[in-house]
Order: sequence, then structure tokens, then C-alpha cells
Amino acid sequence: MDKPNLSQYFGSSEIPPASQFFDEIGTSPSEMVQSVYLGDSEGAQTAITPQVRASFGQSEEGPTDILPTVSGSTSIPVTSLPDPSTFFDTIGPDPPIGVLKTNTGSAAMITDAMDGLSIKNQPVDKEADRRRDAWIPDEEAKKTLIKAQSSPKGSFFPEREVLTMPGIVLEEELADALQEVAVKYLGVSSAGSRGVVRAEHVSRDEAGLRELLRTGYLRAAVNLTATLITAAGQGPGRMHRPTKHTPRTLQLWLTRFAVMLRIKLVDSLMKEAEPFGDFMKPDMFYQFYPDIHENRTGSLVPFSLRLLIAELPSHVGKPEEAMDRLYIILDVIDNMLTNLNKNKTEDGVGIITEEDKNESTRLWTGRRVRVLHSIVNCAIALKDYRLATNILTKLQQQSTTAQQQRALSSALCRLQLLAGNVEAAYLHLQHARLTRHHLCPTPDVREYVDLGLIDIAHGKYQDAYNNFAKAGDQEPTNIMVANNIAVCLLYMGRLKEAISVLQKAIQSDPERGLNENLLVNLCTLYELESANTGDKKLHLLRMLCKHKSDTVPNVVEALKLS
Amino acid sequence: MENKEGMDHLVALKVMRLTKPALISPKIVTCDFKDLPGNILNNYLKDDATSVVGMETLAAGQFLLLPQSFGNIYLGETFSCYVCVHNETNQPVQSVSIKADLQTSSQRIPLSTQQHQSSVMLDVDETLGDVIHHEVKDLGTHILVCEVTYMSNYNTLASFRKFFKFEVMKPLDVKTKFYNAESDEVFLEAQVQNITSGSIILEQVSLESSQQFIVKSLNETSDGKSVFGDVTLLQTQESCQYLYCLSPKPNIASDIKLIAAAKNIGKLDIVWRSNLGEKGRLQTSQLQRMTPEYGDIRVTYENLPSKVPVEKPFNIKCKIVNASERTLDLILKLRSHQDSSLIWCGISNRKLGPLEPGGKTYIDLTAVPVNTGLHSITGISLMDLFIKRTYDYDDLGSVYIF
Repeated sequence: MDKPNLSQYFGSSEIPPASQFFDEIGTSPSEMVQSVYLGDSEGAQTAITPQVRASFGQSEEGPTDILPTVSGSTSIPVTSLPDPSTFFDTIGPDPPIGVLKTNTGSAAMITDAMDGLSIKNQPVDKEADRRRDAWIPDEEAKKTLIKAQSSPKGSFFPEREVLTMPGIVLEEELADALQEVAVKYLGVSSAGSRGVVRAEHVSRDEAGLRELLRTGYLRAAVNLTATLITAAGQGPGRMHRPTKHTPRTLQLWLTRFAVMLRIKLVDSLMKEAEPFGDFMKPDMFYQFYPDIHENRTGSLVPFSLRLLIAELPSHVGKPEEAMDRLYIILDVIDNMLTNLNKNKTEDGVGIITEEDKNESTRLWTGRRVRVLHSIVNCAIALKDYRLATNILTKLQQQSTTAQQQRALSSALCRLQLLAGNVEAAYLHLQHARLTRHHLCPTPDVREYVDLGLIDIAHGKYQDAYNNFAKAGDQEPTNIMVANNIAVCLLYMGRLKEAISVLQKAIQSDPERGLNENLLVNLCTLYELESANTGDKKLHLLRMLCKHKSDTVPNVVEALKLS
Repeated sequence: MENKEGMDHLVALKVMRLTKPALISPKIVTCDFKDLPGNILNNYLKDDATSVVGMETLAAGQFLLLPQSFGNIYLGETFSCYVCVHNETNQPVQSVSIKADLQTSSQRIPLSTQQHQSSVMLDVDETLGDVIHHEVKDLGTHILVCEVTYMSNYNTLASFRKFFKFEVMKPLDVKTKFYNAESDEVFLEAQVQNITSGSIILEQVSLESSQQFIVKSLNETSDGKSVFGDVTLLQTQESCQYLYCLSPKPNIASDIKLIAAAKNIGKLDIVWRSNLGEKGRLQTSQLQRMTPEYGDIRVTYENLPSKVPVEKPFNIKCKIVNASERTLDLILKLRSHQDSSLIWCGISNRKLGPLEPGGKTYIDLTAVPVNTGLHSITGISLMDLFIKRTYDYDDLGSVYIF
């Protein structure tokens, strides 16, 4: 084989070998997975909308779910590897062709996701790897990397200081939070025992992890990442000790951190992320391992992990710190784009073809926009609306499609509303409206909602209500629209109606309607209405147990229990 | 605005302050398509009711979140709250009414609830509620007093009161400076500082001039655009400086006594907005300037060129006003100092004739500049023949000679 087989990396570098670990616990996973599904669909049958059920059906029965998760040593690492085909970021500002509408999207998206995660028998695409992993080491790291590259085989012994030495800090097993709250407030019998079963019955590997994520057992997923990371030698107590990094371990950390962030375990996350620093230690680069990753360049760190860690301080009330880190990332990306522009590889070392260059430029321009969005988010958190406006205005000037233009005008409109600049908001709305004309002749939900928000800024709640109602005519099941109508009703002095609108919204689409923020709104209204809110809140809790898994970060706060 | 209610009443009273709602966004956690979680987390984000389709990674959402705390309230803002009475029993309650007053340090203001002036019957689980608005015009402690009256089970009127206390703070600090120009115009510099805890937009800052003056705002360029750019956004503690030019109205400009007495300049009217358009409005008290001291004689230049070529004679029109209480008999003296850069042409020791109190006269002067640079116009003196006093005017203006 002249091309390196990806699976070999892991086979030769894992300590202890992954295969060994998985073989120990593996027993026919597909059966168990199926049995768990039955339980789930039973619970979901009554209220889940047809669309949602369809999407679940696809994901559950699709061939990808019966991945050979535990069957052999090679299959495990391969699934965890980033798929070598072209990068395709579906969430960014540049959505793929034919992206989904508000409610009906999940089916298509999950299929997309499955494609990316399945094992493909494609040849390894060296260019795609290089493109995706590209990163420019700083001067310090470069010195060590040159040493690593130039030392004869087996004679390179790096200093401790250049090593990244992570370890798990959050040791305790996380319980299903919704389950815990349900047991406390509803009693063991009504709470059922959903999550626990689920977590124990998926395979203890990446496929199982994805399964937990997909079905929303997020705390169980964090537990599983701990198991897998521990098996890879970076578990509890391993912090500040030399360890072996692979793309797989970093993917596991990414998954762990991403989920921890979602369920707001930010303090533990900060501690565990600390040893990684800014991912600029030389052992975060492929060049550090010339024996294993011959001729491969760039960073082992997935870009999304780099971004997530950079944003981290903004989640603990230090957006200015996050902003500094994001600007450092932006600077590296700008350097890479400059190199690409000179027909060089991202790191400026090699020469690349025109096609390769275009692909890379597309990828990194997309990532650059994503970083800029994060910077804007930090600016919004800092209430630095000037900076946020400047960046968004520049992005708007650079955007190429009418959709993007329009989406950015609409975002600028709301940004101005946050700042209180109602006149400017209206100007942006008009611009958005002009662009929308090219896309569709009549106002849509977004436009009506933006109009309604401007009315609210003017204190005209009746007008706002009318605009939201027009949006509701177009998308009767839109949860956000229903929520905004309810908020208007309260300011118009119609508390009872506000409550009933929100309750109906939840009934019509529990999956989306049982949104953390909508629950906060509804419970706020309950508390205003009456001194006895207990039963109503417990009813919501029962609904949550029925329709949601363990995805709400803080059930007690959302329902204003206690 | 929680308040403990110990007694058992048939109805419960709840009050919620209605500041503007917030626009909320989901927790933005994304992965690349090829990462281990694939699109699963991205899909969470997309499916979240609070995210905006196509702009999921931007925290500028459309989803309104109700206020979750009382927040701050500033002078000039409108205090709004929802007052709600709920029947807590399983039978109708008769004759329910709400009365709300706002007690400040100086007065007690009755707040009208628009809909429910008279008492009503509350059926089981029904509520009686209303939104109350009040523009806050006092600083310091305010107490919202809500009184609920209803017919008890013993057919007597029962009532209870709840108190909600809040502090009204100062939102802006306004510092002013005045400059009295030779031309009788008054320039006003107004520094408006944001002393709220968040950022604000100054939506409108205007000077309403007093009867004596005509105001011209100097905060826009000739094409009407604000000199501050698109946005007059002030972060907390930031200030913005406005400049106004006030000219005395013609009837006042012509009378030196009236000008000297024109102290009242006008009032600054400031409208600002913060989070989601929350609006506030303040007007300063009458701004007063220090009027200039003119003494007995007031000399000013009119049509003074700003720059003239060297060695080329130029003309100055000089206005002399009698600001004293008696008729003046004046002699004009022109002296060219040795080191002066201007040499006067014309007659010195010229008699100007009698000048009535309040009267004025114009004289035309010609000078030849001999050195380049910026030079003061010096060497003009007036001598009062009656009291034999000489007034020197050496620093009334300057001219650039090139």
C-alpha cells in the first residue's frame, strides 16, 4: 500500500490499543440498540408530529446505524476519523444547496449527517485532509517541529514543556438530569426509567456516542466520552502527564466539550480545556509525528474544537477574553488565505493546483465567516454594538447571494434593536425587504417578525401582535411566532390568552415547543397569574419526560421549580 | 417584585414589571460535518425554536424572552407593570377591585388602571389584571402600593395591600459650557454622559432656545448628516459632546442692554433608547450663561478678513457701541508700535462726535501688513474727552498675513 491507511494510525499508536478495550465490553450491540428504539417510539407515538417521526425513522433504520461498532479493531477508529471527502459545513453562513425549511428539515439533515459518518470506501484524499487540518504553528512550535522532522528515527525526545497533557477532571458519572428532577417532583413511578436504560444499552464506542447524542441523552454521552478518553490514556489523574495524541482522542475531546457546553457544565469544561491551551503546542501538529504521520501536515485539532475553546470564556462572562482568542484564530486564517492566494498551501510551504486552491479558499473563507460570527456574538455580549455592526456590515458587503444579503440585513435590523437604534433597525429592515423581493414577492415569516420586533421597540404592542399574527398565518406551527404572540399579549394586558397561546404551541409540537426559553416564558406567566403554580409546572415536567430526553441544561431553572 | 403574603385571602395579587423583552438565541455549539458528532449538534441548533434559519451561528435571534428580573429604572423612563389579581378559591369572589399608587419621596401619585375602575366579580380561576404605565419624574425611592379589595365570605369588604419598592436612578450627566462670541453669538457645548449600566442610543438631543435666541445646531454637516456618524451609541460612562450656536433675535441684538440681560439660553431635550427600544426622555432646567461685561464702550470688528497678502492694504470695519449711561465724546487714536506687524493708514486723533447711550457708530480703518504670520490687531485706542480716560483695544482680533 503506497497510500497510508487511516486505520493503521490508530492500530499502531493507541495505548492501550482500542481494539482490546472494545472487545472486552462488546456484545452484539445492534440488538440492544433496536430494543431501545422500541421503547422510545412508544413514548413518542402519541404526540410527535409526522415530520419528526419520519426523520427519526430514517435515522434509526438507515444502514448506518448498524455500523460494525464492536466487531473489529479496524472499524472503530475509522468511524471516528473525519471523513476524508470534502468538507461540508451545513450550519455556517453558506448552507448547502437545497437546505431545508424551518420544520421539515430534520429528515434531510440527518441523512446528510449519516452520509458523513458512514464508512466510505473512498480512497484517502490527501488534499482534503491537508485542507481541513491546515494550521500554521507559531514560531516556538515550529522550532520543535523542525527538530522532530530532522531527527533520525527514534532519537527525538521532546521536552515536557512542549507537550499537551490533558486529563479528565469531571470524574463523577452524570445522572440523567431530567430523570432526577422527575423523580424528585413526580415520584419514581411517574418518572419512569428511560435514560438509564438507554445509556447502558448503546455500544461503548463512537457509534454508541453518536447514538446517545442523536437521541438526546447528553449526560450519558458525556459519561461515555469519559470512558473512551480514559481508555485512550487521558482519563482522571492523567493531567500533566505525557500522553499520546491522535485525531481520535481530539475528536473525543471535541465531542465531550461540545456536549458539556450545551448542558452548561462550563466550570468543569474550563478546567479540562486548560491543559490544551490555545492548541499551539507542537504535539498538536502532525509534523510532530514524522514516523506515524509521514508527510502529513496541519493540526490534529479539529477546527470546531479550536473554535469552541476560543469561545469558552464568553460562556463564563468574559467575552473580551474570548474575543482576543478569536482574533488570534482569525489572524492565522487570514495568513492561510494569503498563502492560498499566492497559489501556496495553507501553511505557505508547498505549491497547490488551481482546483485545490479554490476548494481550500472556499473552506477557509467559510470558516473565517464562522469565526467572525463568534466575534460578533462576543461583541453583542459586551454590548459593543458598534463593532458588531461593523463586522456584519462588512460581511454583508462580501456576501454573494441574495439569501445571505437578506439574512444579514435582517440580523443587522435586530442588532440595532438590541442597541435601541430603532431608526437604523428600520432602514436595515427595508434593505432586507428589497432583497427579499428578489427571492419571493410577498413578505414571509422573517419579515413579519422583524416588523413586529420594531413595533415592540416603539411600544406598539397591538401592531406587533398583528405582524406576528400575519407570520402565524403563514406558519401556524412556528413556535417562535407563537411565543412572540404570547409575549405581546402579556404587554397588551391579556395574560390568560398569552398562557393559552403558549400551551397550544407546546401541544401542537412538543418536540420543539418544549424549548427551554419558551418554558421560562410560560412559567413566568404562570407565576404572574396565580400563587398556585405547582400543578401546571408539574404538568410541563411530565410533558418533558414524555417528549424530551436529557437535553435541557437546567430543568429546575426553566420551570422555576423549588 | 416578590413580596411575601402571609394572610389567607380569597384572591392573590401578583405584580410583574414589564421592561422590554429580550431577544434570545440558543447556545451556539457547532461541529464540522466530518467531526465525530457529525451534524447532530448542528441539527440541535437548527431545530431549536430560538435559532434563526440560515443565521444559526449569529446570536441575533427573533425569539422574545420575558424580563426575568426587575432591572434598573432611570429618571425619564416609563415604569410599566402588570398587576394581576387571581381568584384562589373554588367559588366566585364578588366586588374585586385594584387600586395602585406610587409613593415618591415628595408625593403620592394615583396610577390609573385603565380598564377596571369599578369592582368586578371574579369567577373560579379568573384573573383581574391590567398594565400600568407611569413616566418616572423623580429620583430616589419609589414605592408601588397596590391595594386589593374584595367581598369576603362574611359579606364584608376585605382588603390587603402590597408594597413594591424600587430606586429610580439618574441616567445621564449633562455638563455645559458657554462661550460668548464678539459677534454676540453664544456657543453652547453640552457634554452628555451615559451613566446607566448599559449602552444607550441618543435618539435625539436638541436645544430648545429661550425667547431671546435663535438656535443653530452645529452637530450636522451641511448635507444634514450627523457628525457622530450613523450611530450615536454611548457605552456606559461614555460621553458625547454637542455644540450649538445661539444668535440673539434681531430686536435683542440691536440693543446692548437687552443683550447684556439675556441670560436664559434654553433647555436641552434628550431622548434616548436602550435595550429593544426602551425609551427615556429628559429635559434640563433652563440653562443660564454668564453675560459678558462690556464696560463703558464696546468695540468689535466686522468684516475682518481672516487672511491677507503681505504689504497689501486691507480694510477693517470697526463698530463702537456706547454701553454707558451717558453721552460719550470720543477721540480715535491709531498707533503703530515699533514691533507691530501692521501699519495704520489714515488719520489718528480723529473726533468721532457725540455718542448717545446705547448708540453706535462705525468707522472704517485701513492697515498695511508688513510681516507674515498670524498677528493681533493692535494700536487702536479711544479717549473719552469728558473723563480724559483712554481705552486700549489691542486684542480684539487677529489676521493671518501671507
